[in-house]
Amino acid sequence: MSFARVLVIVPAHDEEASIGRTLAELLAGARRAGVPAGPSRRPYRLDALVVDDGSRDGTARVAREAGVPVVRHPINLGVGGALQTGFRYATERGYDIGVQFDADGQHDPAYLDPLLEPVLLGECDVSIGSRFIARSGYRAPLVRRFGMRLFAGVVQAALGQRISDTTSGFRAYGRAVMATCQFDFPRDFPDAPLLIVLSRRGFRLREVPVVMRERRAGQSFYTLGKSLYYPYKNLLASLMAWLQRPA
Amino acid sequence: MHFLSRTQVITALGAVGLAILVLELVRRRRLSEEYSLLWLISATTIAVLGFSTPVLSGVTRALGILSEASTVFAAGLAFATAMLLYISIRLSRLGGEKDALTRELALLRFELESLRRLPGNAGRAGEDPGPGPAALRGPEES
Repeated sequence: MSFARVLVIVPAHDEEASIGRTLAELLAGARRAGVPAGPSRRPYRLDALVVDDGSRDGTARVAREAGVPVVRHPINLGVGGALQTGFRYATERGYDIGVQFDADGQHDPAYLDPLLEPVLLGECDVSIGSRFIARSGYRAPLVRRFGMRLFAGVVQAALGQRISDTTSGFRAYGRAVMATCQFDFPRDFPDAPLLIVLSRRGFRLREVPVVMRERRAGQSFYTLGKSLYYPYKNLLASLMAWLQRPA
Repeated sequence: MHFLSRTQVITALGAVGLAILVLELVRRRRLSEEYSLLWLISATTIAVLGFSTPVLSGVTRALGILSEASTVFAAGLAFATAMLLYISIRLSRLGGEKDALTRELALLRFELESLRRLPGNAGRAGEDPGPGPAALRGPEES
C-alpha cells in the first residue's frame, strides 16, 4: 500500500520560547510514527509546516533552525487564518491529511497515530483530539468550563452528534476538507462554528480521546480581552452556520 | 411667496456645501464615485427637505411626525445608519480580502525563498529576513 502523506500544520504567534522543543519532539515522534499501530496498518509519512502568524519574536528563526519550513504571514490573521494557509499549502502539494498542532507544547505527538487512524481508514473526514473522553485530569477554569459546555451543547443541537471538546486545537483533516476550506473558512477561532460548517458540508466528524498538557510558555490565544467577544462571535457564527442550507 | 426662515437658509447652505465638498473630493480622487453616490443623495434630500416648506410639511404629515424639524433629523439619521451599515459591509469584505491576500503573499514568499535556495540561484540562502511588518507596529491582540 502506498504511503499516505501527512502534513502537521503548526500555527505559531510569538512562540519563540516553546516552539523549538515542540518541533524537536514532533520530528522525533514522526520518525517513530512511520508505521502506525492499530488496525489500519496504513503507513504514512509525516512532514511539518510552521505558519508564523505575524510574530514579532524569533519564532520563524527557531522553527527554521529545527529544519521545518516556515510560511510567514506579514500580519496577524489568527489561528483560523494560519490554518487556512496550511490547508492551501497542503492542497497544492497533494497531502492526504493535514493535522492542526499547537506550537506551545500542549499536544503530545504520541497521540498522532490514534488521531490519524480514523481519517487514514476513511471512517471520518475530521478527527478531533478530545480531552474529555478519557480521564485526562484536565480541569479548565470555571468560566471556561461553562463556555465549553455551552458550545458542546450548541454543536450537539446543530449536529445531532456529541462533540465533547469543541475548542480542541488537535485535529486531523482529510484531503477533501482541506480542499474545501482553503478558500472558505471561519475567521478568528476555528471552533464550534467550524465543526458545524464542516458537518453541514457533509463531512463526518469523530472524536478521539487524547491527553493534553499545560502550555509551556507564551500566551493562550484565548486571552482575557477575547473572553467577551469570543462567546458572542462563536454563538452567532454557530447559529449562522446552522441556518445555512446543507451543501 | 413667503420669506425663507433662517433654518431653511442654513440647511440649504449646508446641503450645497456638502454637495460641493463631495464633488471636490471625487475630483481630487480622494473619494471614489461609488461612495459619493450615497453622499450626494443625502445632500439632495436635505436640500429639498430644508428648502421647500410644502414638501417638508407634506412628508411630515404623511409620516405622522409632529414637527418638521424632526423629519429633517430623521432623514439625517436614516442616512447615517445606511452609510454606517454600508461601510461595515465593505469593511467586512475588505477584511476577508486582506486575509486572502496575506495568505497568498506568505505562500508566494515561501516559494520564492525556496527557489532562491536551489543550487545555482545566487541569493541570500537561509538568511532570516527578520520579523515581518507586524513588528513595526505597536503591541496588538492576536
